[in-house]
Amino acid sequence: MDVNYVGESLLPGQIGQFFVVLSFGAAILSLVSYFFATNNPEEKSWKTLGRIGFFTNAFSILVIGATLFYIIYNHLFEYHYAFAHSDKNLPTHYIISSFWEGQEGSFWLWMFWQVILGAVLVFRSKSWEAPVMTFVMLCQTFLASMLIGVEIFGSRLGSSPFILLRDALQAPIFSDPNYLSMIRPRGLNPLLQNYWMVIHPPTLFLGFASMIVPFAYAAAGLWTRRYKEWLTPGLPYALFAVMVLGTGIIMGSFWAYEALNFGGFWAWDPVENVSIIPWFTLIAAVHVILAYKHSGHGYFSATLLSLISFVLVIYASYLTRSGILGETSVHSFTSLGMSGQLIWFNLTFLVIMIGLLIWRRKELPSTKKEEDIYSREFWLFIGALVLTVACVQMISTTSIPVFNAIFGTDVAPPIDPISHYNKWQGAFAVVILLLSAVAQFLKYKRTDSKKFWAATLASLIVSIIIAAIAIYVMKVYTNVMYILITFSAVFSIIANISILADAFKGKWRLTGSAVSHIGFGLLVLGALVAAATNEVISLNETGYIGVKNFGKEGDKFTDPGENLFLTEGEPVQMGNYKITYIGDSVAPPNVFYHIKYENIDEESGKVLEEFVLSPFAQNNPAMGGLIGTPATKHYFTHDVYTLITAASADSQAPISNLNEEEKTGFEDYDEPATYQVNIGDTLRYRNGIYIIEGVNKSAKLENIPLAEKDVIVGLKIKVISSDNKEYNAEPIFLLKDGHAYDFNKDVSEQGLKFRFSNILPAKDKLEIMVYQKPLPEKKWIVFKAIKFPYINFFWVGTIVMTVGFCMAIYRRVKDGKREANIES
Amino acid sequence: MKKSSIILMAIIALAIAMILVIYTDSSTYSTFKEAKEKKTELYVVGVLNKEKKLDYDPVKDANLFTFYMYDNDSTECKIVFNGSKPQDIERSEQIVLTGKMEGDQFHATKILMKCPSKYNQDQVEVIEATTASL
Repeated sequence: MDVNYVGESLLPGQIGQFFVVLSFGAAILSLVSYFFATNNPEEKSWKTLGRIGFFTNAFSILVIGATLFYIIYNHLFEYHYAFAHSDKNLPTHYIISSFWEGQEGSFWLWMFWQVILGAVLVFRSKSWEAPVMTFVMLCQTFLASMLIGVEIFGSRLGSSPFILLRDALQAPIFSDPNYLSMIRPRGLNPLLQNYWMVIHPPTLFLGFASMIVPFAYAAAGLWTRRYKEWLTPGLPYALFAVMVLGTGIIMGSFWAYEALNFGGFWAWDPVENVSIIPWFTLIAAVHVILAYKHSGHGYFSATLLSLISFVLVIYASYLTRSGILGETSVHSFTSLGMSGQLIWFNLTFLVIMIGLLIWRRKELPSTKKEEDIYSREFWLFIGALVLTVACVQMISTTSIPVFNAIFGTDVAPPIDPISHYNKWQGAFAVVILLLSAVAQFLKYKRTDSKKFWAATLASLIVSIIIAAIAIYVMKVYTNVMYILITFSAVFSIIANISILADAFKGKWRLTGSAVSHIGFGLLVLGALVAAATNEVISLNETGYIGVKNFGKEGDKFTDPGENLFLTEGEPVQMGNYKITYIGDSVAPPNVFYHIKYENIDEESGKVLEEFVLSPFAQNNPAMGGLIGTPATKHYFTHDVYTLITAASADSQAPISNLNEEEKTGFEDYDEPATYQVNIGDTLRYRNGIYIIEGVNKSAKLENIPLAEKDVIVGLKIKVISSDNKEYNAEPIFLLKDGHAYDFNKDVSEQGLKFRFSNILPAKDKLEIMVYQKPLPEKKWIVFKAIKFPYINFFWVGTIVMTVGFCMAIYRRVKDGKREANIES
Repeated sequence: MKKSSIILMAIIALAIAMILVIYTDSSTYSTFKEAKEKKTELYVVGVLNKEKKLDYDPVKDANLFTFYMYDNDSTECKIVFNGSKPQDIERSEQIVLTGKMEGDQFHATKILMKCPSKYNQDQVEVIEATTASL
């Protein structure tokens, strides 16, 4: 069994594995020490020990990352992770993507961010350090256990990124000491070879990781009985988590839109839902925290929502990593055999949440006073509840496979998930948007109702007018729900703009919230309009036979197909555009298909605009054939999105391997035809005719001196192709020193080659040989084009919202410092 | 009673009602036989019949793809899909179709494939064993 393998480099793996185990041990040490440091604050050594554990853990994680990067960067395919996620052709910047393509890499990313956040907490959180870090290190311990990859009591704990290929897989090839030179690594999924994939996962995981901080603060507040105090330091972290997670989710949406081929930016896929659920609950938490800080109402809700957000992050992690979503998600997540571990992770944090709340239930701050209906806190509370109910809806539908697994049922999710979710979430969006407008005009505790109605009505009237115009311009009047959402989004934007205007007059405090609510309004508006009015413009009405399925109206099975067939060089009219497939180019491993769009004015025939889109596709048999990446033309008001769904095979065929020396110049041609002709004869070829025009007795050849007896004759041939183009060719016949030679001539545009092969004086004929290239099968593509109107609102809204969050964080951090100064 | 408690209860009631409605929206995984009886849109789970031809000729019709599939009762049925051929269907281990029966053909509106994931594909692709000198 002991084989001496050639070329393996085992040291990096051993270093990596050592630090994987060390990071786990250090996390436990830190967890235990911080736990005792919280319970015995007098004993300073516990806290020191906790810090030692934390920094050891931090260092180990940096070494693990560096080692794994070294392995992938240097193509050490003896390691399973490098083998499964990269190959030698991968450009350097995508090595970063392959780093977190696998679950192990993404767990590392999560731990890495947690280390950064932990470092901030160690240095900044002062008296909160010990209890808060206890929970952070508990999470870190669970995450570190996911990478261990050793068998304990017969079950595998974690999955190490440093496992050797020959240990991970069983194959006969591993009995060969030279196996390394014979294996072909699997490479990175082409869908992930996109620059958004370099930046989207780190952002998303920073969002997920930072959700631990509000959890830790809320739990620490309950544990150490500092009920009210945690809200002030916890709030900026909660805002930060909301901001980063929101940005990460939308980045994913942008990646889906730019690089995936499902033709949209949001699909209500379970993977998307589970990332948006904790985002919603933490947004609700932020609002209730504010309500509590200003009014003393809703402590329990604020704490519960902060705690449950992180539990839901772990639940999301469980759903996407355990393979349980199998039949419902297009994302192919499969189990690494860690679902048990993930369930324990999830249950632990759930039990901590419930346990702490029950343990301290009698001591929770509460107020007997009733909220006033004209108070902001009342409506913030309602808004948070609505967000929670929206989450309940998403969790219920997304978790159907989980319920099936628990109860052994066989319920299938709704047939059309997009309309199912839109129906529910559209209604919630209306309520949330209206609340985000109205609540801004209310003050905490008590508002003068007259002032409130005056401000609200003014905005309402302006909004109704603007919404009416917007609905007309954006063509969303077809559906009552669309009208309602548009109106409430406009109302939210207008109301918050008027708050923002007040802010410029000196009330700076609400600026951040006004800006982020404007962003949210724009985001919903953009999403609605793009989703509701996007139209497939590549409708294949020509290839569609009207009688198919007897043309039942409104039956989607008989609708004309959405894919359009294009032959190279043959323009097709598609909506406003005349489109032509003008060819392709290869930049391995991708093939780019160039499609020219021309917008031609019907009356004058002038080309108003012209552009070329080059969606590309990668033919990757290992990943499932042709994988298309869309190309999109961005306008201010809409996008034109184009995607290849099929293409003729030859453009994907490998280039012929013949060496230059072996080429005779004839291998591309069919068997020649020999004709005996006279001057003036007209002959046919596949794509037209050619005429033997005459003989040129004064033909010349460069570099060949002619003796007196030599004969040199050129034959003038005129080729007229079927589209009336003329070409001239003059093959030459030479008799030199008694030997016959001939010099052929090409008409490469028509794939013809002529040889003047003989002169037959006896018959008074000239002999020619005609070579024709086989008619190339015209290249074709099948593609789909979608017009997304006003999608820019969606992206702009995201940016505006992020800016608003930044402003709010800045303000809350400043407030926190001021409060700390007052206290001290 | 406090206003907030009333609202809380109302919203909990709403949430329960909503979950019930969600389950009326939900569907079941059926077989071709059931699809024939029900005539409504539903899910059918099965495997591709790899023996028979997968027919997609974009030159003729870029939006017509037909193939044969066995459902979980091993009943075979011809599937008609009004769209282009999904790229990796040949390699699929399992197919989840959305659609309904029309006569003897199942008209699919959506094809979801479960392919052997590259993550757990326990195979090593071996390059033709050549010497390193090449």
